[in-house]
Amino acid sequence: MKILVIIPAYNEEKSIQAVLQSVKQRHPKIDIAVINDGSSDQTSRKARETGLAHVIDLPVNLGIGGAVQTGYLFAHRNGYDVAIQIDADGQHDPAELDKVVQVIVNDEADCCVGSRFVQKTAYRSSISRRAGIQFFSWMIHMTVGKRITDPTSGFRAVNRKIIEVFANYYPDDYPEVEAVVLLERKGFRVKEISVEMLHRAAGKSSITPFKSLYYMIKVSLAVLMTRIRDVK
Amino acid sequence: MNIYLLSILFCVAFIGFTVELIRRQKVAERYALLWLVLGLVMLIFSLFPRFLERVAAAVHIYYAPSLLFFIGFLFSLVFILHLTMVISKLHRKMTRLAQEVALLQEKLAEGGAKRGNTDRIG
Repeated sequence: MKILVIIPAYNEEKSIQAVLQSVKQRHPKIDIAVINDGSSDQTSRKARETGLAHVIDLPVNLGIGGAVQTGYLFAHRNGYDVAIQIDADGQHDPAELDKVVQVIVNDEADCCVGSRFVQKTAYRSSISRRAGIQFFSWMIHMTVGKRITDPTSGFRAVNRKIIEVFANYYPDDYPEVEAVVLLERKGFRVKEISVEMLHRAAGKSSITPFKSLYYMIKVSLAVLMTRIRDVK
Repeated sequence: MNIYLLSILFCVAFIGFTVELIRRQKVAERYALLWLVLGLVMLIFSLFPRFLERVAAAVHIYYAPSLLFFIGFLFSLVFILHLTMVISKLHRKMTRLAQEVALLQEKLAEGGAKRGNTDRIG
């Protein structure tokens, strides 16, 4: 089974090396692709220095959607069977990788999302974040009838079929929620399991209050559109 | 000098300017077409105020030049919407281009290193 870890990175020079080492230490046989989304810092160089990953430098910043899709394009063209997305900021614990990968390898689902909220975990976030996440959970339930407790989680594994789907189309702005709805609409099996997440190891989150509002409105619209769109 | 005369002068200047932009290849025909149509419609209404007044009366607009502004506004709206569509398409194409460039560069850099063989990386 060829497995690829996709790590989109925008200005994460402080944490990228630790993340790469941490992943490789636990899973020496898994390949890693770091997608440098036009970082202005030394993210790319630091990633290359470790020699542990394929580093792909985007010529311009495309945002998380375009960056992650680049990873799926890479996975598709190089014949990977499973692709896992994790964050470059150290929020996703590589020790939990096995859990999501196993679900795909065992063919229990086509897409496995690592959720902070399925079971009580040690993760704590702000009220507004929780409210936003709950809102999206509700939106997904309303449009495709699926209960996903952590729809904004970037910690997810997919199989070959979905790699191909995402290589051809992946949502643009704030794609995580819309991607799940899309998969549901296309009839794929999406499963959620509990994972422990850490807090951001270094750097700053790029989400500000105004962006949050835009996020909510834009994603809501995207989810509704995916619901009524012809997705075949 | 009344609004109709001003309008005629402006429409002629606008149409002339748009044609010149096309001639100099600063604006492609497909995007300039709507501007030309707008200019033409405005010019016709400005040249024949009676016609404008009749249409205005038909839709219960009491001040005929208001109809001119309204038409101009609607056309602008349509045009901006059209541009939004153009930009969306360009964005999609650009995203794919950027991705292809990045993937190509990576492929070049890797030389001929076998994919998936972790021993060879680094």
